[in-house]
Amino acid sequence: MAVTRINIGPVHPSTHGVLRLVADIDGDTVVDVQPHIGFLHRGVEKLVETRMFMQNPPYMEKLDYVSPMSYDEAYVAAVEAAMGVEVKERAQYIRVILLELQRIASHLLWIGTMCNDIGQMFTAFMWGFQDRDMVLNLLEEAAGGRMFYVNMRIGGMVRDLPPDFTDHALALMDYMEKRVREYERYLERNPVFMERMKGVGVLSYDDAKNLGVTGPVLRASGVNFDARKNKTYYVYQKLHFSTQVQMAGDNLARYKVRMMEIRESIRLIREGIKALPDGDALGMPVKLILPAAKNRISIVSRELPRGECIMYLVADAQKPYRLSIRSPSFINLAALNFLAKGQRTADMFGIMGTLDLVMGCVDK
Amino acid sequence: MKIEREHLKEKLAEMKKSGFDYLEKITAVDYSDHLDVIYMLENIEESKEEIVEVTIPANDAWVPSVMKLFLAADWYERELSEMFGVNIIGRSAERLLLEKWDGKSPPLRKSFQWGMPYEEGAK
Amino acid sequence: MTNNLQIPPGMGLNVTAYINSSNPVYSVGGIIAFAIIVAIIISIFGYVFGWLERKMIAKVQHRHGPTYVGKFGILQNFADLVKLLAKEDIIPDSAERTLYIIGMPLLVSVSIFLVLLLPFAPSLQATNFAFGILIIFVILSFTPILLFITAFSTSNKFADISAQRSVLILLSYELPMILAVAAVGIAAHGYNIASIIDAQSSGIFAIFMPLGLVVLFITMLAELERPPFDLREADSELIAGWLTDMSAPYYALSLFLDYSRMLLGSLLITILFFGGWEGPLLPPIVWLLAKASIISIFIIIIRATTVRMRIDSILKFGWKWLLPLSLINLVIAYIIFA
Repeated sequence: MAVTRINIGPVHPSTHGVLRLVADIDGDTVVDVQPHIGFLHRGVEKLVETRMFMQNPPYMEKLDYVSPMSYDEAYVAAVEAAMGVEVKERAQYIRVILLELQRIASHLLWIGTMCNDIGQMFTAFMWGFQDRDMVLNLLEEAAGGRMFYVNMRIGGMVRDLPPDFTDHALALMDYMEKRVREYERYLERNPVFMERMKGVGVLSYDDAKNLGVTGPVLRASGVNFDARKNKTYYVYQKLHFSTQVQMAGDNLARYKVRMMEIRESIRLIREGIKALPDGDALGMPVKLILPAAKNRISIVSRELPRGECIMYLVADAQKPYRLSIRSPSFINLAALNFLAKGQRTADMFGIMGTLDLVMGCVDK
Repeated sequence: MKIEREHLKEKLAEMKKSGFDYLEKITAVDYSDHLDVIYMLENIEESKEEIVEVTIPANDAWVPSVMKLFLAADWYERELSEMFGVNIIGRSAERLLLEKWDGKSPPLRKSFQWGMPYEEGAK
Repeated sequence: MTNNLQIPPGMGLNVTAYINSSNPVYSVGGIIAFAIIVAIIISIFGYVFGWLERKMIAKVQHRHGPTYVGKFGILQNFADLVKLLAKEDIIPDSAERTLYIIGMPLLVSVSIFLVLLLPFAPSLQATNFAFGILIIFVILSFTPILLFITAFSTSNKFADISAQRSVLILLSYELPMILAVAAVGIAAHGYNIASIIDAQSSGIFAIFMPLGLVVLFITMLAELERPPFDLREADSELIAGWLTDMSAPYYALSLFLDYSRMLLGSLLITILFFGGWEGPLLPPIVWLLAKASIISIFIIIIRATTVRMRIDSILKFGWKWLLPLSLINLVIAYIIFA
């Protein structure tokens, strides 16, 4: 059969933003798929070079509009490392709690969009958004914004947690635990869902390492790598959680890793709230002129919901000389061609769904 | 760890054999007269990170391709060549990944001209 | 003449009697009356289910659905229809103009024609062929071909892919569907629709042949291309599948097509397995439409919960499960009824 070249996107229901795929399809089998990216390229790496350190967090948040606080935190951590500032202990706990909340919100959105990609009529999508909204309410209490937070300051937070935050968070965690069970019941008992997920888009252990994929995609292929454990930061080594690893490497494994990660996050938040110490959590007030950076080069590694983000910061005294961001979605998208080759056309979208792409994060 | 670009491939192959088989990122820093190309490698089993720096002159910027060793290098090398004007030796030239520019002034070099209209830049 | 046109005693509101009457005036009048009644039924059903589907899916998804236009948003679909019909009718340059223009209206008219072949009540039926149900299924099998032509005429690649899928699905479900119908034919000793319904007066076939019901329901979902078999439209893969390059008025027609086919499918299942209009107290037509509505609601609920199947697994499912099941069902029907 002749090979048909179809153009998917940049405006398409399941490209999650502005991604263009040029796919060669033979009958119903994908022969080749080339992602064309850059529609959302804003040159953030260049932009930050022209601005003072603490003018940049809002730009960082726009990189990943699904989990903005994680990027915010990664950047501020890089600046802290450059300045040699230690984060206050209470602020460390608060950051861990908020980051895990952000992870839950991101994974909930992922469930919805992924189910949409494999052809569900928006049901899981709406459920995911509804539950995510509750997490966002909580983050709004803590940070004041729903979408973008800019909640980190050097050495701490902008503001301490509101007094009844912990009660609300614990109540939400109980609810969320119930909901995760419900999602699993709803999805995994559906034979059509299982058929679309099981054994599709298999990425072996060696290929996963070789392709450099990261985050849940890497862990679903049996690679035990989580920046929270392997390059531990803040109070993660004091809290108890396990890295979720699945051996199968297929869509279902990626789904399971993320579902289990929501559980682990719930565990972390509960434990973090229990151990939350008293004291001061406020960071340095925001000023254009800060104490000059001490370290020329600082490398900070963070586990975002989508994978490992590395901030390679070369600092001038008052602003970044060069900031290189390793965005997890970028390298996960690079693996799409490898994964989708030889698969069915319909599965290409399913695989793309399980990679959890955010185009802002891909294009930078 | 600093090494010469001529020995880069052998060195990385050696490191890959010794367990550093996960390439995290290829990036570069422009210091006006020279560029530092940085390879971040990770040994997942032993939780060790190694950073390999290759210093190259700014006006003769090339590095060998390591795509044969790490598939992950594919898009990073393309990004590198696009953003820093570094020639990647040993792989075919491909379309630009992220943006369009004139080919003279790579965007992430410090010599980049600001304020160039897009149409002019694209020509 | 005036004498002839008076309602003869005993005919009353019996449309069938008018159609079958030897007087051509009565006969033509009866056919027109039947067509108008059925058109009203299809329109009301299509409209109500277009609204109900939105409301029900919204309920499943914890949303409100349409609320603004009319009470409970009941007029929302009408507002949408006005919007769609008021839009510009764009025909792509590369499209096959004639086929593009006639394709969709032809599809709609075929599906309405099929509804017209069905009886709605003993006193409301236009035709009474000996092989009525077979004729309906034969024509129904042609719709994917028509659909293929319509999709092909837009010369859009997404439409092409969806049309190919549509024909591929035809391969896998047509045989089990006809076998399920054949079992009913054995049970009723004939393919006349009225006699099939009469044969169920002592007990509906769904009790005797549950396998046949399952096979027919699944294949009917595939025939109507409702989820999980909605590969034709596959909105997350093929944008809108065969409708990608269809402009607004044709899109409105396609929605009407979907709901009229849903009515057709539900009516066929009702007639074949749930005893058609059989039922106590209420008039036959109310029974028939009530049963068909319940089946339609099932079809809608399935849409809200399941994910889309892949084309190869549909083919596998059709040949590996549906075909053997329908054969077993045929044997069971032979043992019980013959």
